[in-house]
Amino acid sequence: MYEKKAIKGAIVISAIRTYDLWKEYETGGHDGIALRGIELDIAKGQIIALLGKSGSGKTTLLNLLAGLDVPTRGRVEIDGVDLQGLGEKGRTRLRRHKLGFVFQFFNLLPTLTSIENVLLALELAGRPDEKLARESIALVGLNGKEDRFPHELSGGEQQRIAIARALVKNPPIILADEPTGNLDSHTGTQILDLLTNRCRESGTTLIMVSHSLKTCQYADRILRMLDGRIFEEESYEGFAP
Amino acid sequence: MKRVIRSFLRYLARRRSLAILQLLGIAFGVAAAVGMTLASRSALENMEGAVDFLKGGSTHTIARPAGPMEEELLTKIMNDPSVKFFAPVIDRRVRLATGDQVRVLGVDPFLDKNVRSITREIASSANPEKREDTFRSFLLDPGTVLIDEYIAKAGNIAAGQSLMTMQGPLKVVQVFANPSGEPLVIMDIEHAQKFFRMAGYIDRTDLVVTDEAGLRKRWAQGFIIESNQQKAQTLSALLGAFKLNLQALSLLALFVGIFLIYNTAMFTVVSRRRDAGILLAIGASRGQVTLAFLVEVLLLGVTGGALGGIMGYLLSKFLVQIVGGTISTLYFFLRHSALPWTFWNIAGGTLLGCAASIVGSLPPLLELHRVQPVQALRGRTTSRSASKKMKVVGTIGLSCLVLASSFFLLSFLNVYIGFAGAFAFLLGASLFAGFIIMITVPFLKRIFSYAIGLGGKIAVGNIRENLGRTSVAVAAFMIALSMSIGLSSMIDSFRHSLIWWMNGQLRGEAYISTKNDIVVPEEAYDELKKVPGIGGIDVFRNVEISFRGKPAGITSIDAAVLQKYAQFAWLEGSDRSWEDVRRGDVIISESFSLRFKVKMGDRVTIDTARGPAKLRVAGTYYDYASEHGVIMIDRSLFFRLFNDRTINSLGIFIDAPEPEKEGILEKARQISRKYGLPFSTREQFHQRILGIFDSTFAVTRSMRIIAVIVAFLGIAGALMTLFVERQKEFGIYRALGFTTGDVARITIAESIGLGLISFFMSTVVGTIFTFVLIRVINRQSFNWTIFYHLTSQPYTVTFLTAIAASVAACAYPVWSVIRKYPIMQIRED
Repeated sequence: MYEKKAIKGAIVISAIRTYDLWKEYETGGHDGIALRGIELDIAKGQIIALLGKSGSGKTTLLNLLAGLDVPTRGRVEIDGVDLQGLGEKGRTRLRRHKLGFVFQFFNLLPTLTSIENVLLALELAGRPDEKLARESIALVGLNGKEDRFPHELSGGEQQRIAIARALVKNPPIILADEPTGNLDSHTGTQILDLLTNRCRESGTTLIMVSHSLKTCQYADRILRMLDGRIFEEESYEGFAP
Repeated sequence: MKRVIRSFLRYLARRRSLAILQLLGIAFGVAAAVGMTLASRSALENMEGAVDFLKGGSTHTIARPAGPMEEELLTKIMNDPSVKFFAPVIDRRVRLATGDQVRVLGVDPFLDKNVRSITREIASSANPEKREDTFRSFLLDPGTVLIDEYIAKAGNIAAGQSLMTMQGPLKVVQVFANPSGEPLVIMDIEHAQKFFRMAGYIDRTDLVVTDEAGLRKRWAQGFIIESNQQKAQTLSALLGAFKLNLQALSLLALFVGIFLIYNTAMFTVVSRRRDAGILLAIGASRGQVTLAFLVEVLLLGVTGGALGGIMGYLLSKFLVQIVGGTISTLYFFLRHSALPWTFWNIAGGTLLGCAASIVGSLPPLLELHRVQPVQALRGRTTSRSASKKMKVVGTIGLSCLVLASSFFLLSFLNVYIGFAGAFAFLLGASLFAGFIIMITVPFLKRIFSYAIGLGGKIAVGNIRENLGRTSVAVAAFMIALSMSIGLSSMIDSFRHSLIWWMNGQLRGEAYISTKNDIVVPEEAYDELKKVPGIGGIDVFRNVEISFRGKPAGITSIDAAVLQKYAQFAWLEGSDRSWEDVRRGDVIISESFSLRFKVKMGDRVTIDTARGPAKLRVAGTYYDYASEHGVIMIDRSLFFRLFNDRTINSLGIFIDAPEPEKEGILEKARQISRKYGLPFSTREQFHQRILGIFDSTFAVTRSMRIIAVIVAFLGIAGALMTLFVERQKEFGIYRALGFTTGDVARITIAESIGLGLISFFMSTVVGTIFTFVLIRVINRQSFNWTIFYHLTSQPYTVTFLTAIAASVAACAYPVWSVIRKYPIMQIRED
């Protein structure tokens, strides 16, 4: 069903659109509004840097875009298809085929080896191909570390495996939540290079949530979040994230 | 999918200590239920085996309603057209010189071989040349007997040697194999009549009958004809309440077991919520994630269940001795041998482990199925949402309590409704665990903060913050502790009620023999009557009868003696009722009144040797002697109705002042010794009854210990899981400057905190559970009133158990802290 809608939406050039997107949390009487009417339109192949202070709503927005959470109001469209209308099964298929995820804390399954973590994403997408998984690991520069468990890798290496896992199924959209947030500056730069280069090569839309202004250097567009609202920035110079 | 499952299963190997705790939790839960079930089944199968062996090929028995039947009736029985074969029997007990009691069957070897295979074996094992001599000796020499292999082995006696009894030596001519298990001596019937001083009488006649209806018609008045089927039903009914008690204990064990398995399953799911979140984020469906968890839970269920099946079998070997001992003490002899090992022990345990694991894992899996991926990604549930959930769970708990109350009100319909109420009550109470943690935390925080400072505050805060885990651990522990308090308080109350009853009803200075011991010869009674200073002798006789198709008892006493010396506690009537009893009325026990719905002023019809007799009820008294109910009548009336002069025991009452008492008692003791009868002073008699009482509850005590072990594993599992989950927090503690000792103290405080909350809850729940056991379960099962007696012991013991279990449960986590804390860092993975 999702595929059909996606084909129907082929004339739409937006990869992601949001309409009046609100998210409220129950906080026991306090103001728990994380997002306040976000309107967003991201074209296919764009690389976005989403900046903002802690608690500004960046991660909440990312979770809504991935269908990992449900909005209080408004809607999200991926390739012109309303996520709410897809239902749970449809959203699961969307994550399998259309989305790749890179988290701040890597979120690799600790009991699977590097190759198994990458293969898992392919398996879920219905394309179990060990050769492809190995190539993907080689592309992120970790040749020879396929059989290591996450705890046997450094933070940077774990993030590379996470990137390999996101890229291996060649998704049209990659959502990265603070991909360098847990890494040192040098490794962070390497990761950003790797991620953005691979996305540009394959025409993948990339949204990177970050605190770091360095991320803006790699982005086509810079979006800034403040108190649940989103603002377009022409340049990252002159403002603190 | 395979990869997801593999990833989950690798967790078990990675966190071995936790997996072992989880596995042991399931294994102990299953072992408790399997052990109890096997023990009770084994006891009942042994009973059936013994009955089958002793009845042989007979189809019916004929006997007088009470006491022996006249020998001359045998001619009439022999000529009855419905009787194909008949075999007169004397069935009595004798006490060996060692103090053990054995059953003596007096049989006619010529008639009995048509009925019982055992008689055919007389002289069969002897040397062919000596066969005739053996048979002749058995037939002609007085005091010649066959003994079974158990007696021979226990006394190291072989053929040709003597078996020493308190009534004189018996000459053994042959040792035979006895599949019934009950120590058995076989004697020729004529010698048995002499040995038991009952010349001209037999106890019953076993029959092979062709026309039951005809036989019953011809022997309707003054005789009891019982078919084997009826006999089996009677035995089964005799054990009814006891079986019910065993079933209830098995269910309680299973209940605590399921709780623990739930605990285990929940920890499995909850501790890996984040992994579930990752899987959902990268495209795994909820079904796939749920299936992976289910496979892991089932693997634990299968392994733990199989292990539990083996442990349960081993446990049953121990429990069957206690169960068999209790049946032997209270009802009839039962040799306790465990059931043979079968593969089904493992299969049954596995099935139980799996079923309980599925039931236990359902709530957390359902929650996982509903949760948004982003919430799962956050890992541990926040305390705020857990608090909200606890209120909802508390409301469900309240509904369970309302349901339990309704069951209690309806329990008069069937005891199983009472049991359902008890389970609903425990379940309902357990659902309040989270809520209770929430309201007790402020007090605990103050206490712990005072005791160990900031660490105490953190410990209590951790209990509150991890409500989802701690509430289940507290619930499981609280249920086990409540069971401990409830069962102990019930036993204590029962014991006190029994002492109160004995002090009123059993006031004789001394007692000769007992209801279940050897028969007192009338000559002994006559001799005792002549001892100067004895104010009165209560001649006690008890016979089992069938009243309205159910087993009951008739007790004959000397009403004049009891009126003078005893102080019965009356439910209906008063000490004036004795006057009515002396005139020919009866009094009934509370259990008889409740069981058969008979009240003072009603009339009861009983079958007697003279046909049915209608007797007026002059009062109802408190009684704990028989749960089947007793009709008490004066000896003179009993003799008129049943023509039975048998005496089971004698109660001796003395009027003489204290200094002379000892001399009088010594004379009574000498007479007792002369006839080989057991003699006991009032204190010894009361102690013996209390000894029987205590052994009766040995099973209950064992199950209580198992419940505490199971709950201990629950607490240990909870603490271990919290330790594993909170590695990052430990890193923060380290960064803040907490020493290893501080963190170890925090861990101990958390464990003791959980133990204390569980104990506080169990004081309330356990006390209510005591009332449920006393007022609902016991009253419905045994039909007697137990008076609640508050003693501090159950609470003190339970408190110490709670603290000891809490400290023991945190031993491993504390050791892990000491080992790992110095190298912990603030990191997520």
